[in-house]
Amino acid sequence: MPEPVIRLRGITKTYRMGRENIVHALSGADLDVHPSEFVALMGPSGSGKSTMMNIVGCLDVPDAGRYQLAGVDVGRLSDDELAAIRNKHIGFVFQTFNLLPRLSAVENVELPLLYGGDRRARRARAIAALEVVGLADRVDHKPTELSGGQQQRVAIARALLNDPSMILADEPTGNLDSRSSAEILAIFQGLNEQGKTIVMVTHEPDVAMHCKRIVRMRDGLVSADEVVARPSRAADELLTGIGAA
Amino acid sequence: MKMLDAFRSALQSIIVNKLRSTLTMLGVVIGVAAVIAMVAVGNGASAQAQSSLLALGSNLVTVMPGAQSDSGLRGAGAQAQTLTLDDMRAVQDQLGLTIRAVEAEQLTGRWQVVAGTNNWNTQVTGATEQYPIVRDWSTQSGDFFTDSDLRLNAQVAVLGATTADNLFAGADAVGQTIQLRQVFANRARIINFKVVGVLEPKGTTFGFSRDDQILVPTTTAQRVLTGRTNVVNAIIVKAASSDTMADTTEDVRSVLLQRHKIGDAANADFTVTNQNDTLAAINNVTAIFTLLLGAIGGISLLVGGIGIMNIMLVSVNERTREIGIRKAVGARRGDIMRQFLIEAVALTGLGGLLGITLGFLIVQLVQEIARRSQLQLLPIVTSGTVFIAVGVSVGIGVVFGLYPAMRAARLHPIQALRYE
Repeated sequence: MPEPVIRLRGITKTYRMGRENIVHALSGADLDVHPSEFVALMGPSGSGKSTMMNIVGCLDVPDAGRYQLAGVDVGRLSDDELAAIRNKHIGFVFQTFNLLPRLSAVENVELPLLYGGDRRARRARAIAALEVVGLADRVDHKPTELSGGQQQRVAIARALLNDPSMILADEPTGNLDSRSSAEILAIFQGLNEQGKTIVMVTHEPDVAMHCKRIVRMRDGLVSADEVVARPSRAADELLTGIGAA
Repeated sequence: MKMLDAFRSALQSIIVNKLRSTLTMLGVVIGVAAVIAMVAVGNGASAQAQSSLLALGSNLVTVMPGAQSDSGLRGAGAQAQTLTLDDMRAVQDQLGLTIRAVEAEQLTGRWQVVAGTNNWNTQVTGATEQYPIVRDWSTQSGDFFTDSDLRLNAQVAVLGATTADNLFAGADAVGQTIQLRQVFANRARIINFKVVGVLEPKGTTFGFSRDDQILVPTTTAQRVLTGRTNVVNAIIVKAASSDTMADTTEDVRSVLLQRHKIGDAANADFTVTNQNDTLAAINNVTAIFTLLLGAIGGISLLVGGIGIMNIMLVSVNERTREIGIRKAVGARRGDIMRQFLIEAVALTGLGGLLGITLGFLIVQLVQEIARRSQLQLLPIVTSGTVFIAVGVSVGIGVVFGLYPAMRAARLHPIQALRYE
């Protein structure tokens, strides 16, 4: 087994909500994710799965515990170093897409290259990334001119731009109809087959069944960790879906 | 994020919020325009005052009769009869080559002037032969009267350009005869003068035309016109240069103190003023004036700056999610900070440029109004003012954009992303 790309040990995180309430979002969670895995992170709300994602994505730092990302101890890095890691090694996909409404699809996709990497190649690479997600003909559209599924594909193209080692998706299909969801999952499965590590938060069991592994969380701890014997193939569902229609 | 991208993004955001950006910029526009226009008017007034003073001749040291006390002149200058033509000659003899020239003037009041069928009314002043040198004023035709005219109390006159025009309607005045008439105590006096020269036109000084006057030898003025023998109203010395004016002032004072047998300069029965001091006083006043006008403009700039800060805070607040997204894809604190700072600077910089344009338009307007109302005021826009105005407006963008930009940069990515 190769070295895990994500190695979390005894991660705790507490939030203060208002004056009195202290929320223990994570209370000593452990998790290893190896390269080329496709992990679904599941759990009821309040189980700490979103906090886990934020810490894995270097958007937040744990109160205690060790987080090693590709062998690097992330806990010791400054804000700007974390920003550089997010820029180079992590691609985010959010439930609400989080595109900048004023920018066109291609400008949204270019964003990561504004903050690092080969700036001059950014337009060409952004167009290439849009081709990967099948939106080559929507390059100059504004987010408001795109459907939800298309917006999420733009967001995936943005996540792919700097060729990150892993993609973190926080309920990427939560706001989409089932066909668009299948399209997004098909893209993820394709990327995973090419070797991308993907961690996806979801609370829909049938979405989680597209992953190779399901990690369940409860009360700030990992409560179950299982391998999916035969993941559903989104590409097949799309075909049968079209056949049925 | 590089500067160019930051600028493009800033311009985009300004264009997207057109109305808001315009209103915000208006504060800076008005501020910069106010600074430029006000300082230009101040500079114009200052330059006008200086050139008016220098139009009376340069490097002048003026001696007036009467002592100067702390509260001003003790005894009105025209009535105190303490300066004489002999005083002038003494200054001329004793200071010799250390001064450029000297002359003495006696006012004789206004006279009716007749030449042929033309009537005119103007000021007649006695002057001495070095008047053209002292006043930097030569004749355009004929010659100025000489020291022998003075010795002979000759009835000769030099006319101002306007006076000559009015009396002779364009014809050559030199060699013609004019009559000075005055009715005094029911007795009409009519005195003939021969015109020997006409002065070059000089324009107006402090609102008065200097080309409408008649000059006659001081001795003639004393004996023939006023009867106030030997007394003069002013002795005017032209120093060799601006640098020697202080020395000349002292020399003139000591010559006259000695002649008047006064031991203590504090008891002098005359007052010596020096054009440099007058210039300095005028400059002092106009500098304060300009500063005051600039300060008024500066305050509107400050108010404009506060408007910028306000709108930048709103903008940061509105774009919290955008900041979160940018941070998530790898923007560092410096990137976010730069983006908002540049946006503020772009707003104020653009406002500054528009302000300069508006300022120039206001200056044009002031010039036009001054021209129509025959005011001697030419507002002067210096490149220094423009640079300062632009620098200050960009500086205001930095100063008032800094705090909002810092707030944006410090936002926590998660909280920013969750912001609704």
